[in-house]
Amino acid sequence: MAGSMHLSRLRNWFLASPPIEFAISNLKALLIGALRQGPIPKHVAFVMDGNRRFARSHGIETVEGHNLGFEALARILEVCYKSGVKVVTIYAFSIENFKRSKFEVDALMEMAKVKLSEMAQHGDLLDRYGARIRVLGRLELLKPDVLAAVNKAVEMTSRNGDRVLNICFPYTSRDEITGAIRDTVEDYSTPLWSAKPAGVAARALFSESHIALNIRAQTTGSGKTHDSHSDTGSTSESSTQEEDPILRNDHSQRVYESESSFSSSTTLHLGGQQEGQHQQQSNKNTSQANYSSSEAENPVYLSPETITRQTLSDHMLTKGTPPLDMLIRTSGVERLSDFMLWQCHDNTEIVFLEVMWPEFDLWHFLPVMLAWQRRIAKSRKNPDAEGNFAGDSPESTSEEDADAVLLRQAKVKAV
Amino acid sequence: MVSQRERQILRDEIRSRGAKLSAADREKLIRPYLPDPSELSDSKARASTSTSYGSRRQKTPRKKPIRTFLKSQLHQLTYALTHIIFGVVVRLIQAYHAVVDRIFAVVYHHHRTPELIRKDVRGLKRLPQHLSVILTLRTEEDALAVLMDEVAELAAWSACSGIPQLSVYEKTGALKFCIPALHQIMTTKLASYYGSPSQQPSLQLFAPHHPVHGGAPSPKSDKASLTLLLLSSTDGRETFVDLTKTLAEMSQNGKLSPQDITPELVDAEISEITTQPLQPDSAQSSALSFNPEPDLLLVFGNLLKLDGYPPWQIRLTEMYCTGDRSYGTTGYGEAVEYQGFMRGLWHFAGAQMRFGR
Repeated sequence: MAGSMHLSRLRNWFLASPPIEFAISNLKALLIGALRQGPIPKHVAFVMDGNRRFARSHGIETVEGHNLGFEALARILEVCYKSGVKVVTIYAFSIENFKRSKFEVDALMEMAKVKLSEMAQHGDLLDRYGARIRVLGRLELLKPDVLAAVNKAVEMTSRNGDRVLNICFPYTSRDEITGAIRDTVEDYSTPLWSAKPAGVAARALFSESHIALNIRAQTTGSGKTHDSHSDTGSTSESSTQEEDPILRNDHSQRVYESESSFSSSTTLHLGGQQEGQHQQQSNKNTSQANYSSSEAENPVYLSPETITRQTLSDHMLTKGTPPLDMLIRTSGVERLSDFMLWQCHDNTEIVFLEVMWPEFDLWHFLPVMLAWQRRIAKSRKNPDAEGNFAGDSPESTSEEDADAVLLRQAKVKAV
Repeated sequence: MVSQRERQILRDEIRSRGAKLSAADREKLIRPYLPDPSELSDSKARASTSTSYGSRRQKTPRKKPIRTFLKSQLHQLTYALTHIIFGVVVRLIQAYHAVVDRIFAVVYHHHRTPELIRKDVRGLKRLPQHLSVILTLRTEEDALAVLMDEVAELAAWSACSGIPQLSVYEKTGALKFCIPALHQIMTTKLASYYGSPSQQPSLQLFAPHHPVHGGAPSPKSDKASLTLLLLSSTDGRETFVDLTKTLAEMSQNGKLSPQDITPELVDAEISEITTQPLQPDSAQSSALSFNPEPDLLLVFGNLLKLDGYPPWQIRLTEMYCTGDRSYGTTGYGEAVEYQGFMRGLWHFAGAQMRFGR
């Protein structure tokens, strides 16, 4: 025991000596630079598991273990952002974790508060890394002082660059999915024409009347049609202007109208046809009247049939981030534990590592990244193979296209 | 990388809860480790410099072109080298695993004998009550026949080792269209393991929105029983879409307030789909009890990915991948083998498999 302790002290002393430290940091920089040369996952999630077990096995306090875990997080974030990962999502605190001992929960909350407020103190330094912090989860479960720190940190970093750090703070995935369903239902059960129509609503209104009117305007050349067109058309015009503020559609519509009148004036119409059309028009007018009366009675909603998987994904807390490419859980526990259930889509690679989170470093991360790069490279080489990965990410295909173009150019040169 | 000495200072500082150092001190400590502002590929920063220091901007990109060129060349060289070395290592590991797998396959073979399989799992501390398996439909011509045979084998192994519930996920849902044929194949397979029909475990087969196929186990007999559930990608995220549609419709008609949607409600609705098949007669409805959350998820292949597996149910499911995880290159398509199945069960029980029974 004493021997091993001396050995570890010797090792620490050796590692801490300036030349070795310099060499190691340069080697790390080199490796990260090398990683950048290949494909890089856009979105990586970590479950930072093993802080407590690490503390127990090393005979230190649990809180100390969490502190070491935070250091590991800072280390790995640096690696991720330097190698080009755009979004990192971490599982910091589960809603279930509130059931742990009060001492530990309080310590974790205190740590979060201190770290977040420290970050807020260094606003300009964070700007350099350009990472935006977002906190996902049930913020209402937090204490007011922690919540204030959270809001301040989020607000401070909100104008930063394209890198994102998602902190899942009091979070469970089931809660997130339920929330997404609830929000979607709420969106779809807001009447369209009650207060002010949303963009989608305006579009739905636009298409119905506008198409019918345009058909009529194209087929009949009488001035009466034009009148009705401008009458009802004004609503559609205003609605389109709402979604597209550029003064474009007014002009285009005028052009369109003149075109239609032109075409109708040049085409020869038979009298009988015109009569029939007038009849049709009057029919339509009555039906329209019916329609508007029914609309006044009961509110009109978006059709629930338009809900898709994408709709739900857009209501998840992770909306706006690229799809999850890789999920890493440390400490050898092989469960998702209510994390990113929805986001683990068809091609998310799930990696379980034996290492405890406080020990997690580039050396553990590197093989995972290399394996990922290898797989992507292979699946690009023969895209028809099973387990093809890069097929659905647009950038990779564009890169492939670029490669193909290069190849073709090379061939042309060779010829 | 933060040097050892400064790390010590930071740790001391954390222990004193941020009281020792002021914000300026901390910044001084961190500054050497931050990237140079000029290195950052932030287009916003570059745009701002170009507008403010119009003439000075010319200098920044031309600072050290040779050095950056050499650096990028060095990085590319390192990239190539690491991947060559990594490739060799992966091949070695794969070769090692292939050999180990063959040895396991020879040592652990079921020989279609339920007693042998039972002996293999006897020492285990715990068995999954609900085992789930992800299978893939291959591209060959007889893929469906192969797949059905795999399902039948898995069902036989599960029945022999005493796992009462098995669910099979196959992305396309091809299995759901041939439930009667699959039931026939499984019965034949069980017969080849158990012999006479009187000793066979009772078998129930169903899929969401499909009726149960196979007789319910009689409560008196002590025969083993197996319930098999077929899942496909439509039972996953699509189910949530359907649920949301229904809920939105109800909410639009004023039958439900969005605040009523709780995790419990969603859980009840989602679980019902996998636990309650369409019942031909209502008297039978209580016969089937199926735990919607699997205890163990087995992936046959080199790579652990869920391939669209229903998300809600796998919250606490342990996952096991039979291949050499995280170094996988071929992705899917590893054959369903008894030794892989056994290794999964042993791993679940927290035990190490050894050579020799």
